[in-house]
Amino acid sequence: MLRFILLFPSVLLADEFFEQRIRPVLAEKCYGCHSAQVSEPKAGLRLDAPAPHITQKLLQAISYTDLRLRMPPTGKLPDAVIADFRAWIERGAPDPRPAVNAAPVKPGLDLARGRKFWSFQPLPATPSRDSIDRFLAAKRQAKGLATAPEASRRAWLRRVTFDLTGLPPTKAEVDAFLAGASHESVVDRLLASPHYGERWARHWLDLVRFAETNGHEYDNSKLDAWQYRDYVIRAMNDDLPFNRFVEEHVAGDLLAKPRVSADGKFLESPLATSFYWFGEVLNSATDSVKSKADGVDNQIDVLNKAFLGLTVACARCHDHKFDPVPTRDYYGLAGVLHSTGMREVVVDSPAQVAAIHAAHLQVAPVARRPGRAKIQLRPGETLWEDFDDLSRNAWHASGEAFALGPREGVVDSAGRGASELTGSLISRKFRMPNHYVHIRLNASQGNKDLAEREPVRVTLVADEYKSLHYLGKGQGKFEWVTHRMTLPYGRTCYFEIVDRSRTGQVAVDAIVFSEEKDPPPVSEEEPAVWEAPRPQPSIPPSTFGMVAWDESAQDTKLHIRGSHQNLGEPVPRHFLQVITPGQQPALTGSGRLELAQWLTHDASALLARVYVNRIWRHHFGEGLARSVDNFGLTGERPEHRELLDTLAARFIADGWSTKRLQREIVLSAAYRMSSREDPAAAKADPRNELLHHYPVRRLEAEAIRDAMLAVSGTLDRQMYGPSVTPYVSAYQIGRGKPKSGPLDGAGRRSIYIEVRRNFLTPLFLAFDYPLPISTIGARNQSTVPTQALMLMNNEFVLGEAARWAARVSGAKDPVAQMYQEAFSRPPDAREQAEAREYLRQGGTLAGFAHVLFNSPEFLYVP
Amino acid sequence: MYRRRDFLCRAANGFGGLALLQMLARGAHFPAKAKSVIYLYMDGGPSQMDSFDPKPRLRAEHGQTLPFKPPTTVFNISDQIFGSPYEFKRYGQSGTPVSELFPEIGTCVDDLCVIRSMVADHSEHTAANYFMHSGSGFQGRPSMGAWVNYGLGSESQNLPGFIVLESGLIPPGGIDCFGSGFLPASYQGTVFRKGDHPVADLQPPEREAAAQRQKLALLAKLNPGVVARFGEVSEMDATIRNYELAFRMQSAVPELLDLRQESNATRALYGLDETDTAEFGRECLLARRLVERGVRFIELLTPPRTGLDRWDQHSGLEKGHRINARAVDRPIAGLLKDLKSRGLLDQTLVIWGGEFGRTPCAQMGDNASAASIGRDHNPYGFTMWLAGGGIKPGIVHGATDDYGYFAVENKVHVHDLHATMLHLLGLDHKRLTYRYSGRDMRLTDVHGNVVREILA
Repeated sequence: MLRFILLFPSVLLADEFFEQRIRPVLAEKCYGCHSAQVSEPKAGLRLDAPAPHITQKLLQAISYTDLRLRMPPTGKLPDAVIADFRAWIERGAPDPRPAVNAAPVKPGLDLARGRKFWSFQPLPATPSRDSIDRFLAAKRQAKGLATAPEASRRAWLRRVTFDLTGLPPTKAEVDAFLAGASHESVVDRLLASPHYGERWARHWLDLVRFAETNGHEYDNSKLDAWQYRDYVIRAMNDDLPFNRFVEEHVAGDLLAKPRVSADGKFLESPLATSFYWFGEVLNSATDSVKSKADGVDNQIDVLNKAFLGLTVACARCHDHKFDPVPTRDYYGLAGVLHSTGMREVVVDSPAQVAAIHAAHLQVAPVARRPGRAKIQLRPGETLWEDFDDLSRNAWHASGEAFALGPREGVVDSAGRGASELTGSLISRKFRMPNHYVHIRLNASQGNKDLAEREPVRVTLVADEYKSLHYLGKGQGKFEWVTHRMTLPYGRTCYFEIVDRSRTGQVAVDAIVFSEEKDPPPVSEEEPAVWEAPRPQPSIPPSTFGMVAWDESAQDTKLHIRGSHQNLGEPVPRHFLQVITPGQQPALTGSGRLELAQWLTHDASALLARVYVNRIWRHHFGEGLARSVDNFGLTGERPEHRELLDTLAARFIADGWSTKRLQREIVLSAAYRMSSREDPAAAKADPRNELLHHYPVRRLEAEAIRDAMLAVSGTLDRQMYGPSVTPYVSAYQIGRGKPKSGPLDGAGRRSIYIEVRRNFLTPLFLAFDYPLPISTIGARNQSTVPTQALMLMNNEFVLGEAARWAARVSGAKDPVAQMYQEAFSRPPDAREQAEAREYLRQGGTLAGFAHVLFNSPEFLYVP
Repeated sequence: MYRRRDFLCRAANGFGGLALLQMLARGAHFPAKAKSVIYLYMDGGPSQMDSFDPKPRLRAEHGQTLPFKPPTTVFNISDQIFGSPYEFKRYGQSGTPVSELFPEIGTCVDDLCVIRSMVADHSEHTAANYFMHSGSGFQGRPSMGAWVNYGLGSESQNLPGFIVLESGLIPPGGIDCFGSGFLPASYQGTVFRKGDHPVADLQPPEREAAAQRQKLALLAKLNPGVVARFGEVSEMDATIRNYELAFRMQSAVPELLDLRQESNATRALYGLDETDTAEFGRECLLARRLVERGVRFIELLTPPRTGLDRWDQHSGLEKGHRINARAVDRPIAGLLKDLKSRGLLDQTLVIWGGEFGRTPCAQMGDNASAASIGRDHNPYGFTMWLAGGGIKPGIVHGATDDYGYFAVENKVHVHDLHATMLHLLGLDHKRLTYRYSGRDMRLTDVHGNVVREILA
């Protein structure tokens, strides 16, 4: 009782105190912006209902102690009133008013009604086996629409070859088909072509905003991003069942039985998880918490759009305004992603690990003893790591380099004495407590210009950004390297000790946290004996990847109106309730493993619909549901819903085989139609929703370039591997500008040109190459004069024209050959005559080649 | 392919708009005050308390510690007050104070509306650059120049509607500051670099120049046959027509760049013949010429200065800001005076400012001398100014606190600036939308209020 009296200046019951001292002030000073009186309460905060989670913030705001948060904005309340609020809040802020939903929004689709929306409904249990054409014909006939006639064999071959491989058919292929080869044999040949995977992987990369740099200020590299690109190409070529493909994306690092590569050397499954990490990364986030939340938001956006065609990210600040996605579902997923990190690790298969280890043990030990040295710590300094016991900082070793653990107080990537050993050693996460970090290391000569690309280094990763690199001097002795923690100070950090070089090595003796900018003195009590390792080429190489990694699992608090500074209750990690009402799966770790299973089981109908629709779009120019990334209420509903549902159900029933689905599509009569539309049909159905003709389509940026390389003869069909640095002209400037690669991209297909976020290739951008920002299932298709200027004046285009001309110049009829190669047909008499006239008047064959590159027939597929 | 109308919208606003453009542009929502925007982008973030927002208290308390805990900054290493090294002087009838950095702009203050209470959301250059340009701190949203052209179309037949002039520096974040994001690529900014060949691939390499006409003639002869093969396809038609536009542009750009038509007095006005001001002077003069040619949105980027990183003086502020100001002061004043004397200022909105301002604190290294002191980034309160089309001249709007750290009076958020800019161009920022990712996207997202107090 005494306490009560002390806290409440006058003896009032709690409710009375609220009614007399608090509520009137709230009503007069706060409701104008923070109540149901206004349609969108500021900061999503309502003070006309109990708001227990913000009372401390409320007190801070009215106290005017924080320059950025002062309420009411019109002026400070009298001190006596503030004292009343303080007393009330210290008492636990008793509030008799009825609770209301904290973030009022216009009711969108509620969950029960949402489940009835077409895209959330189950698929037919026993799908019809009727052909695609039967479905299409039924609707067309109902409207009395005539279809276009069958396309010529040349047109169909060109169409299907570009569609499935992204390259033009060769003359031999055209001749074989004209000579009577079956459509089926052509399709089977194309589906088996390794170029099929390159073509279809690129479509997939659009969905996961694939990029190989971080963007932002310095556009630093994302190591090993290309491994993901290769993973997708292989998966496409192998026709990996799509449900497995999805599971590997979401939780490939956690699967009980990860898939091993065809050569048996590395694990495929974890590489898929790289897709989480292709977003933009801030190199100097001032607000780490917000930056992390933004990164997770991008992951949620991509994950849900790419797989489910849902704009779940709209629910970050409020319940989704249209779709049945409450904010809680967003934060349920956010918890999963906040519990997930990324690490640069070795992904060798168990057999490869064993082979490397066995080879390592064959190495005759080299004398590498660090000697005995005493580090004389000064007051306030911490020996954060002395490498006596790796468990102290929970170091995680991957690869063979550090597999033997520390010896004599050092870790040494040369192991028993082999420079070929590679691997990484990664510490636990911690908050950087000091302004200097001194690391005593002994490593081969590093090159600081390479930054994160330097293969031998100790890196301090702050806020997931590879901030500072400690490099060796190659002098064969232990030396201090110091960095000031200007940016990492106070942030969440970890160390990675990396050796990815078959010639270099790194040994580390101590990590000291300090406020001194000079390293601590060291007294050497016994000199080191430090022999260089001997080459051991018999040690097999390792494969590195950037893969997902479960951090300590935690639920995320609801961010009121999306603000990380206005937190509500923790939301248990869970998945979309519109798909799984009621009891949800119990989670282990981050919950990604369960998410993967949920996607391919609970959500399989939507997952299959969205994917099948994407495949359809790439063959017919539009999806059956045209808004391919949006299967929500604001998306376009499919005209042929039954067909889409049937194809999706069959896709699942047939083992999620992409190639089987595509085979059926491209062998359909619909796909064989000509692009000449029937005038009456065009009038009745101008959007061609009932598919009365096959739409003419422009090639994508990459296919245009690849086709140029193919006809010029420059095309290098080598597959896979690290990307080719893009050609960067003098017109492209800015921070992080890379050294230019070759003008012709070394002749490699466009998918192998490195995607440097801030230096995308202008020729690609002119033809609507997508920015690697979010899921792009439907590229823009603009027609602008820049395209004409590039095709007319760009050095690459001119160069390929000249190469093409040089290649065919000795031919019997170069003009005819060029027509054949470029357009899969011979020139007609008029074209022959124009060509002759052009050449007669001094035009060169290179000029003629250049004109063909500029022909609309080069850009458009019939 | 697309419905015809869809397609025309996609094709219309590009580098060299179609004649159909005026017919098809979405068009203004209400009568416009301004037809064009010139955005003088002070890349790096000039300091407000050293330019247009005098803070005597900083001098009085120089060297002391701030009496409050400042927010986290990028470098986060100082709360020691740093008084401005520059003197301020009142100019014109309005008496608006301007520091010694900008004596020439000072003579124009009666045309300026100085907003001292700008607020932005990001402390990092790249995010702040994206934010200032697109209303979002992330890469990949349409830049305001793209939005303006999407909304209004370009009035120029032969030039892009959104042109960025640079002299060797692009802000952190790169060309995505001027991108079209989810809008069609035709709305993206075209960067003109300095020199006689401002746009990549605009002209053929010299060795090919002679052959070009002949090639185009052959192409024109072959195209009808191709069209006959494919049938009527609207995009293919546009692809063919683009060659005529492209050819027209090839002559429009050299004509634009030919400054011989300008008088000596004009050259002097812009500082074209002085080493320090020649680069930005040329950008400013070209900006006027672009306005005359009907280009909607023109952005000028600051030229590189030896030894300096843009306006980003984390160290050596006193000297660094002097050098930067010297490069732009006369050209900007020249531009304002020239536009005014030609009657163009009324229909041109001129905007000056960086992606954020700077802190009142002294940022120093371990062994700092007075000359090495700099300032860190500060998005919580900074200065921009506007002039021309529809803006109330000769006023100061809003205020920061006594230390110049936070906007405290009449805050103008970047979204508000965007809303106001669109308003002056005749566009309602809430109605200028584009459907993407399941919702109607805006330059101002779900924010923004037109700042009525600064409208003329």
